[in-house]
Amino acid sequence: MQINRRQILQGATALAGAATLGQPAFAQANPLQVGFIYVGPVGDFGWSTMHDVGRKRLEEVMGAAVKTTAVEAVAANDMERVATQLARQGHRLIFTTSFSFFQPTMRVAPTLPNVFFESATGTQTAANVSLYNARFYEGRYVQGVIAARKSKSKTIGYIASFPVPEVVHAINTVMRGAWSVDPSMKIRVVWVNAWFNPGREADAARALIDQGCDVICAHTDSPAPLQLANERGVFGFGQASDMTRFAPKAHLTSSVNNWGDYYVERAKAVIDGSWKPGDVWGGLNSGMFRLAPFTNMTPEEASEAERVRDALSTGRLHPFDGPLTRADGTVAVPAGGRATDDQIRAMNYFYRGIDVALPS
Amino acid sequence: MTMFEAILLTIITASTPLLIGAIGQLVCERSGVLNLGMEGMMIMGAACGFAAAILSGNSYVGVLAAILAGMAMSLIFAVLTLGLAANQVASGLALSIFGLGLSGVIGAPFVGAKRDQMAKLDLPVLTDIPLIGKALFGQDPFVYASFALVIGVWWFLARTKSGLVLRACGENHASAHALGYPVLKIRLLAILFGGGCAGLAGAYLSLVYTPFWSPGMTAGRGWIALAIVVFASWLPWRVLAGAYLFGGITILQLHAQGAGVKIPSQFMAALPYLVTILVLVIIMSRRGGQQAAPASLGTPFVPDR
Repeated sequence: MQINRRQILQGATALAGAATLGQPAFAQANPLQVGFIYVGPVGDFGWSTMHDVGRKRLEEVMGAAVKTTAVEAVAANDMERVATQLARQGHRLIFTTSFSFFQPTMRVAPTLPNVFFESATGTQTAANVSLYNARFYEGRYVQGVIAARKSKSKTIGYIASFPVPEVVHAINTVMRGAWSVDPSMKIRVVWVNAWFNPGREADAARALIDQGCDVICAHTDSPAPLQLANERGVFGFGQASDMTRFAPKAHLTSSVNNWGDYYVERAKAVIDGSWKPGDVWGGLNSGMFRLAPFTNMTPEEASEAERVRDALSTGRLHPFDGPLTRADGTVAVPAGGRATDDQIRAMNYFYRGIDVALPS
Repeated sequence: MTMFEAILLTIITASTPLLIGAIGQLVCERSGVLNLGMEGMMIMGAACGFAAAILSGNSYVGVLAAILAGMAMSLIFAVLTLGLAANQVASGLALSIFGLGLSGVIGAPFVGAKRDQMAKLDLPVLTDIPLIGKALFGQDPFVYASFALVIGVWWFLARTKSGLVLRACGENHASAHALGYPVLKIRLLAILFGGGCAGLAGAYLSLVYTPFWSPGMTAGRGWIALAIVVFASWLPWRVLAGAYLFGGITILQLHAQGAGVKIPSQFMAALPYLVTILVLVIIMSRRGGQQAAPASLGTPFVPDR
């Protein structure tokens, strides 16, 4: 009880100090406490691991000016409690690193007005809530191009987590990339209703491969699908971190996240008092993610993938240029147009040609 | 390999950890002890098994380490519930949480380490049986072990005197005690058996199912194994049926999704649970609502009373 009370008092003091001072001098005397809330275990070797790599980068760059705390494997319905507790302990900047945390973040943020929140993906900002995300779809487009070159069965298998726009537009973009090479490409999708469940992810990969898919894309966090692709002699892509070593024969490329620079930037903003709610959506050119070296590809295939990647990076190629037609045949974006960021982030339909049930 | 074989193979893979975990838990519960620490014991088995396999380079050393880890975890539970007559539900829940945390610490140096899947053990001649041969007899040793465990546990409980004594402890520990049977010792052995099986199930996850270590990788399978024991109304053959029913529907719904069946995926994901509950209801209604649980299940036993 006493420990708790002391912690609360410390937190209250820090908050009071923050409210009245909020100056660099204060920050130097007391390091800025930065909290990180992860949706998965820090050792998932994927999404959460890479956020933790970013956290370590923050500590490395900022040294004694920051003090970080990470809470891993937090369920979405428990996030508000964790955030409140971090705030009480004096954390003034909290990164809530999952789309599943966006709604809880929006609920808890007004109750903790002295804390700055940074939600990794989301749909709107608030007075003390920023959004940050990377345009992973650019990597998905490259995956589609590569998959179309590597697939003999002309069928991509996609292990999807939840039917949220982030996943839906990724599936669309993979196919856009694949169709740019071969319009006859098909996709099969299995929803596993989890971000992290290695066993079920592997089961999904087995099912897809048994049904003739020979390139596996995963939108979940563990290396299990890629490892299984390796075992079964088909190809796959790594997710969030460079997963080459899990599948030396199957790995084509991985989308490798890099949050560290952003974390440094935002912590500095809090310390010098310039933090404002922002909405950052960084593409390949922002450095927020990169593609791991292309492996198991012929030089021609690799150079094509590089060309596509560079075109996306420089903006010469945009995956959401019209015409975009919904599965039901209606036009979402006419020819000559381009989907806006808001449209991309709210995408709740598959393109025509993707014959997959979209859970509602 | 035909589609039928492929699906059967995947179902076996998905069902085996549930079966191994549940059959161990069944013995434990038949002796009158409810150990909700299944998830914690299982994941400790996964972590220690993987760690030992990496360090020794031998999968069988990993398996042994996993069994020992599961037993060590269950020993903690035994000390609390048998030695101190603590509440079994609370102790079991604590064990689950403890195991999830401790396994993360033990496994931390092994995150990202890679191992090849444990070698399969083909049974000659039998693998040539059409359709099911390859799927049933071209498996890893765990699958054979799981079937052997079901047969062994059935034989032990139904056909041996020791099995009868164990059941007596579960049905009425005071009577068993009055007859001069060492209730606590029998329960200790049953708990250790349950722990060993949970550890073995964990080893299956980290050495065969998805051969790497990742914290939380059991993803609730321990709880499902617990539920299967209830589903099976504490009978070994029904544990087999329950594990394969659950595993089978889990895999079939993934295949149905991949094949483009237009049913919401959330419903598909819930299907294994729905069907299991439905079957349970049918079984129970046929039994006329008869109470199937061991009568002393979950009740602490203090010898001197």
